[in-house]
Amino acid sequence: MTVAVPSALLADLLSAPRPAEWEALRLAAEARLAGRELPTPRDKGWQFTDLAPLSHTSFAPAPEATADISADLLPEMVGTRQVFVNGRYAPHASCVSALPPGLRFLPLTLASEACHCLGTLAPETARSPFEDLNTARFEDGALILVPKNLRATLPLHLLFVTRAEHPCAVFPRVLIRLEAGAELSLVEEHMGHGPYLTCPVVEIQVGEGAILRHERVQRDHATAIHLATLRATVAQGGQYHSRTLTFGARLSRQEPSVRLAEGAEATLDGLALLGDGQLADTHSFLHHAAPHGTSHQLHTCVVDGQARAVFNGQIRVAPGAQGTDAQQKSRNLLLSGTARVDTEPQLEIYADDVKCTHGAAVGQLDPDEIFYLQSRGLDLEAARNLLTYGFAADLLERIPVASLRRALRRLVLARTHASALGDLA
Amino acid sequence: MNSTFQGVTSQEYKYGFVTDIEADSVAPGLNEEVIRFISAKKGEPDWLLDFRLKAYRHWLTLAEPGWAKVQYPTPDFQKIVYYSAPRPKKAQFASMDEVDPELKRTFEKLGVPIHEQEALAGVAVDVVFDSVSVTTTYKEKLAAVGIIFCSFSEAVKTHPDLVKRYLGSVVPAADNFYAALNSAVFTDGSFVFIPKGVACPMDLSTYFRINNQESGQFERTLIVAEEGASVSYLEGCTAPRFDTNQLHAAVVELVALDHASIKYSTVQNWYAGDKDGKGGIFNFVTKRGLCKGRGSHISWTQVETGSAITWKYPSCVLLGDDSIGEFYSVALTNHKQQADTGTKMIHIGRNTKSTIISKGISAGDSSNSYRGLVKVQPKAEGARNFSQCDSMLIGHTCSANTFPTLDVQNRSARVEHEATTSKIGEEQLFYFQQRGIPAEEAISMIINGFCKDVFRELPMEFAVEATKLLSLKLEGSVG
Repeated sequence: MTVAVPSALLADLLSAPRPAEWEALRLAAEARLAGRELPTPRDKGWQFTDLAPLSHTSFAPAPEATADISADLLPEMVGTRQVFVNGRYAPHASCVSALPPGLRFLPLTLASEACHCLGTLAPETARSPFEDLNTARFEDGALILVPKNLRATLPLHLLFVTRAEHPCAVFPRVLIRLEAGAELSLVEEHMGHGPYLTCPVVEIQVGEGAILRHERVQRDHATAIHLATLRATVAQGGQYHSRTLTFGARLSRQEPSVRLAEGAEATLDGLALLGDGQLADTHSFLHHAAPHGTSHQLHTCVVDGQARAVFNGQIRVAPGAQGTDAQQKSRNLLLSGTARVDTEPQLEIYADDVKCTHGAAVGQLDPDEIFYLQSRGLDLEAARNLLTYGFAADLLERIPVASLRRALRRLVLARTHASALGDLA
Repeated sequence: MNSTFQGVTSQEYKYGFVTDIEADSVAPGLNEEVIRFISAKKGEPDWLLDFRLKAYRHWLTLAEPGWAKVQYPTPDFQKIVYYSAPRPKKAQFASMDEVDPELKRTFEKLGVPIHEQEALAGVAVDVVFDSVSVTTTYKEKLAAVGIIFCSFSEAVKTHPDLVKRYLGSVVPAADNFYAALNSAVFTDGSFVFIPKGVACPMDLSTYFRINNQESGQFERTLIVAEEGASVSYLEGCTAPRFDTNQLHAAVVELVALDHASIKYSTVQNWYAGDKDGKGGIFNFVTKRGLCKGRGSHISWTQVETGSAITWKYPSCVLLGDDSIGEFYSVALTNHKQQADTGTKMIHIGRNTKSTIISKGISAGDSSNSYRGLVKVQPKAEGARNFSQCDSMLIGHTCSANTFPTLDVQNRSARVEHEATTSKIGEEQLFYFQQRGIPAEEAISMIINGFCKDVFRELPMEFAVEATKLLSLKLEGSVG
């Protein structure tokens, strides 16, 4: 079957051979891509994020590669980690010796359950072309299945490393299903080296009363492009708590969408620490589909240099979703004269007995706070750096994995030039 | 849902009657000939005809905007009558006695005491009746201090230089679909010019009224306040009820020079359609103020209760250093009404400040959206914005939405936005009732309390009218 040419870039990416498995799904995705163009700033949802850099580069399929990840291991998760290098499973870097019995954490290509789960865990909302691209071309990814009432004590570590000499593309795929009453903490990390494009897709199903804590760390290379999609459904009384921490990539976009059933709870926090010419975009969608759901969203951006942060947070309270409690806050700190923030909170409410608030603030450091620190003997620069660190690090405090929390604090300290103040981590 | 809320629906439209005046109309449809006809009919200079034709040619290249959260059948622009004027009995009326008695009765029903302006507590009324100004009052008093307050067509004849200098300087002819349409076919409107250093001695006011069933009304308002001048302008609207949707695409331009101040207040109560959403006005309005000078100040206050569809974003372009923009809005929707309204604050100058207070109330099956933009351009050092958008829902079949956009490109700027959504609490109601206040009155009081921050920005007589209007609009939807 020949595929109609969508756009030069999409055609480029689709020119790679189609992997053998899941052919029907891949063909369907290709069919949807046929004739599609890359979104441009004229398209709804893309007016602040220009994908032009993509169309100037030709991305080849990622070659096989190896990576040394010894410096990136976290002690709590040495025996519960799966590593993927350039989109392929890396058995020598992975280790799952400490997995509790019954918990399945393995590459998709080795998981017989995968075919039942792919594309079925969370119903689709509007699909971005990058999700279809992922479906059409992903090589491998991870499957996580937590059986009923299993409460995993150790967190899982999922590491995607990309090493690119020349521009290349990878499509990580993650499927997560928690059965009723299960509980899990997961750390998903993206890192690498070189001018690559990564389009991860994560599908999540949280069962009745189950709890998933999901830390997502994006520290891709400074020349990389990261375009991620996440879809989650949370069943009655379930909880999904996620924190997306954006440090890397010159251009990145997160598109999480979460659908809440009755009495379900979600946290969708985000931190973007940006400098130089970075652009980080978050377009989130929280759907309160049934009564008595609760959601919290705190999105924090610290923007320096010529960087730019974009936030569009949509919350929809469906007809009949009475008793919904939705809170959203977008906080933004501009550190340079050339930094830019565009924030668009969106509330759509179709039920009357609800508590919904949103707030957005863009500004610089409070002169009173700086003065206070100066009066305590800190010089101006130190005072500024400490406050900047505090603004950003606020979100890190709730990370449940101690070693990750410390590592990220150090990263934020370094990025906010606050390291000189001593090891606050 | 509490039974108190059931059945609160607005009472029938009080101002729904039709005045039968033979109109001097052009056949429905739009082409360059119609535009030339309008221009010739009004005896316009060539530059204005050029302005219209350029706008029309640009309009042909534009598509109707689809981003607003409103749904309606696309108006057939070839079925609209673009010009109709009440047939003049004489060139000019010398006194009220000469005005068409039918017209006078209309105003009596509306409660506009046109022949008793003294009773209007010093409000001069420039009445626009189906596109042509019939009478203007208080002109002499205003002229004594150098203020020009007249119909737009008159201004084109008597002060062409002023009109030419400012027309389209805030809302360019090519600004958007409806502004371009208005620029091509506008028939009349109001013109206000406050010269240097003059504080307008009274509130200026215009009543708009749509009368001919097939005639969309394309008003054009231009207000210019020179250095140090100040003016408060009131616009109030009612319209007779019709089953065919009527298109209203007005353009309002305000220009404030150094240290000038313009306060523009609107109470909008056009026919909103019946309970099933049949009929009602389509209100697609472009309103924009330019704070051109240092320390200039433009303030928009609106109480939007009518129209089937509202698409309206009174905006401020804060160009002058230290200029101030304000937007205070109450938007109430009931039955099948849809409102997508808000504001744009564009900070360009240094130390510019803006305040946005928006209160949305939705009842019935209506949809009420706030859409706003706060943009701080790179050179707007020290810009400051505060926005607050509160929504209140009455009943479970309506919706309230907020779509603010904050676009900040200067680090010294401080921009804050807050939004809340709530309903009238059972406990609040219980408290009132327990004190002997009936539910309906209690709800009216709660809603007026909710809107207090906006009402206190209104001129006195408008504040009274607005308070009454809200209670009237919600009558029967609660209680």
